[in-house]
Amino acid sequence: MTTITLPPRCDRAAAEALLPDLAAAFGTGALTIDGSSAAQVGQAMLQVLASARFTCPSTSITPSRDLREAARLAGLDQILFDTNPSDKAAHA
Amino acid sequence: MTAEEIQGIFFVECEESLAAAEQGLAACKAGTQNADTINAIFRAVHSIKGGAGAFGFGALQGFTHTFETLLSDVREELVPITAPLVDLLLGALDVLSDHVSAARDEGDAPEDAALIAQLEAAMAVNLGGHGPAAVETPAPSEPNTSDDEEGFNIDLDALLDDISGAPEPAPAAGWILHLRPHAAAMRNGGEPLLLLRELTALGAECIACHTADLPPLDELDPCQGYLGWSFRVPAGVSEAQVRDIFDFVGENCPIAIGEDAAVPPCQIATRAAQGIQSIVAQGMAALGIAANQPAETSAAQVAEQISADKHTAAPLAPASAVASAAPSAPQGQSIRIDLIKLDKLIDTVGELVIAQAMLAQRLSGEAIGDNEELTLLESLTRDIQESAMAIRAQPIGSVFSRVPRILRELTASTGKHVNLVLSGEGTELDKTVIERLGEPLTHLIRNAVDHGIEDPAERLASGKSAEGTLTLSAEHRSGRIHIRICDDGRGINRERVLAKAVEKGLVGPDAQLSKEEIEMLIFAPGFSTAATITNVSGRGVGMDVVRANVKDLGGRITIESEEGKGTTFTLTLPLTLAISDGMIVKVGDQTLVVPLTHVVESLRPEARDVRGLGAERRMLNVRGRFIPVVPVSDAVGANGAVRDPQHGVLIVVDTESAGQAALLVDHIWDQRQFVIKSLESHYRSVDGVAGATILGDGRVALILNVDTLVASAVAPLREAAITREAA
Repeated sequence: MTTITLPPRCDRAAAEALLPDLAAAFGTGALTIDGSSAAQVGQAMLQVLASARFTCPSTSITPSRDLREAARLAGLDQILFDTNPSDKAAHA
Repeated sequence: MTAEEIQGIFFVECEESLAAAEQGLAACKAGTQNADTINAIFRAVHSIKGGAGAFGFGALQGFTHTFETLLSDVREELVPITAPLVDLLLGALDVLSDHVSAARDEGDAPEDAALIAQLEAAMAVNLGGHGPAAVETPAPSEPNTSDDEEGFNIDLDALLDDISGAPEPAPAAGWILHLRPHAAAMRNGGEPLLLLRELTALGAECIACHTADLPPLDELDPCQGYLGWSFRVPAGVSEAQVRDIFDFVGENCPIAIGEDAAVPPCQIATRAAQGIQSIVAQGMAALGIAANQPAETSAAQVAEQISADKHTAAPLAPASAVASAAPSAPQGQSIRIDLIKLDKLIDTVGELVIAQAMLAQRLSGEAIGDNEELTLLESLTRDIQESAMAIRAQPIGSVFSRVPRILRELTASTGKHVNLVLSGEGTELDKTVIERLGEPLTHLIRNAVDHGIEDPAERLASGKSAEGTLTLSAEHRSGRIHIRICDDGRGINRERVLAKAVEKGLVGPDAQLSKEEIEMLIFAPGFSTAATITNVSGRGVGMDVVRANVKDLGGRITIESEEGKGTTFTLTLPLTLAISDGMIVKVGDQTLVVPLTHVVESLRPEARDVRGLGAERRMLNVRGRFIPVVPVSDAVGANGAVRDPQHGVLIVVDTESAGQAALLVDHIWDQRQFVIKSLESHYRSVDGVAGATILGDGRVALILNVDTLVASAVAPLREAAITREAA
């Protein structure tokens, strides 16, 4: 199982840096994203994580308190952390 | 862009916002405001609040929050605009300015508790209106100091702390808000989650995050905005309150209101569109058109159109279409330039001017100086020089805009109400001159109000209106700028000024002075006629500093005063400090420059005009008044200089510290503009020398510091006189 660890500062630059790592990791089997150190999270990172969950629903994310709160603020907590994210997406 | 650079831009924008708010409130004070005026003031304060929050300036953010809440009530006409309210808002603006200064200089935030209480008391909710309940002031947050290339420097810790303490979920009743941040909302430190934070702080609840546009990971561009949100906003929160949150981001985050409204559409520049954009950019480059922001937008629109039509266009076809359809650059576009780069440009242009002069002199020496190409080069060099100087030019309005606050403070301390009349605010002059103009201007204004304009009772008794009038004007004239500070006060009492000057020993009791000379005595060091010393002025330090500051700027100050009618101070300043006028003089084997600002007159004296004083000293009789003769050769160590004034030229100069003196030089060679080079930055500071310039023949000429040169030359003379008197 591959584990990718999120940095404390999950800003736009971090999201851009994470993207190729995630794409590469998808081909290697089950993936875990360790977000337990994430302290500052922005929209760009939430988008990447949400897209990762839609692309590969088996991806699991271990959130920090801050990551969970940011996801809750954005209404993405269920998508990111529940077991079946595709059912939770709201479509306009 | 680093966090410091973004923060620097924030403070520049703060200054602009403060100036805009000052202008708007001045209109309110004059009763000429309209809805746009109030909106402009609100936007200015709101912009500062937005940046303050992003950079973690808690005290600034807290104060602006209260300030804008009251402004919001005014904008919605829940609170009427009255004179006391405008005064309160002006007071709040002054404190806001202090908050900005404290944030910028990392100083202590001003005491604002009492003013915040006043602002809150004036809000609609406390006046019995129907306005919204006062929103709790955001808690101050610690600034986030870490760098980031993308400028992401928002304190999300504080954000999340706020979220954890956010109100309980709002009841189901309320209204629906949809929002969609675009990519631009995430640029330059922007973070859409902050907007969501502000919404939840109002009690709004996120009911849906719209992820339908979110692509698979391999197609995702993290810099684009794919998410949209729907919020349920409590009924007690007004639409204006919500719109205020989004004022700061404008079109970068469109919103839609109502249950039936659609979420604003996603605007993603897809990879296909980006490819077309690239082709368009290439085409535009081929056509010599800059690929600026509007063109990018047009490219995206073209890409969208092409996508919708399912057509594949030839690469250059859209380029041509965009080239013809691209909107012309909007008027008034501007960019920010690092001042160091600008100074480098000015310096290089100075070198160009020197090189051109050297070339002209060389060609003239070869008897081919009179040709069309050289004339064209001269003309172009002058144009480039003027254009370069124009880049540094700023309107004097930036200095004038500080005056209303000075007057408010003076009104509070003296009880005198003064109307301010401004004209020529758009007159431009060099940034350095602007920066150094503030202090002397402030002194003159304080002096005009404290000494010039009478108390209301005295004014009424003399048939004037109770309120005084101060007029500030600026205009270009003969390549210089003239600034007038005119009051309608009591004018200068010359008898009193002369008596005071005699009392202080500044002039002899039998001195015969013209009325202009008497008026100029107020600039003498230590002179003051104020009966009582106030904290406004009257300590005798100020007017002499004013004159010194103006002279340092290469300017002059003159007075016109009519007793009972008022006084006008006129500052005549150069448009720039990089280039000045001077007399090129020869002293022995040296070529020197005497700045024209000091020169009163030049003459070749008769034998009877020069008297000896001791073995070495000589005095020049200038229309009955004796001034010391200062041989310049002694100061600069020139060899072979003229020692007899009758065989040389005496240049009568005016100095701050030593009055008038006559500089003895061999002869005057030329009078022209010269480019000033700092001696300190190229060598070191030298007494009696203000700088250097390069002449047309390539030689370096020193620019005399007339003040220090004369002061050091006449000091031994004065000491000798004092010793004689004592004996």
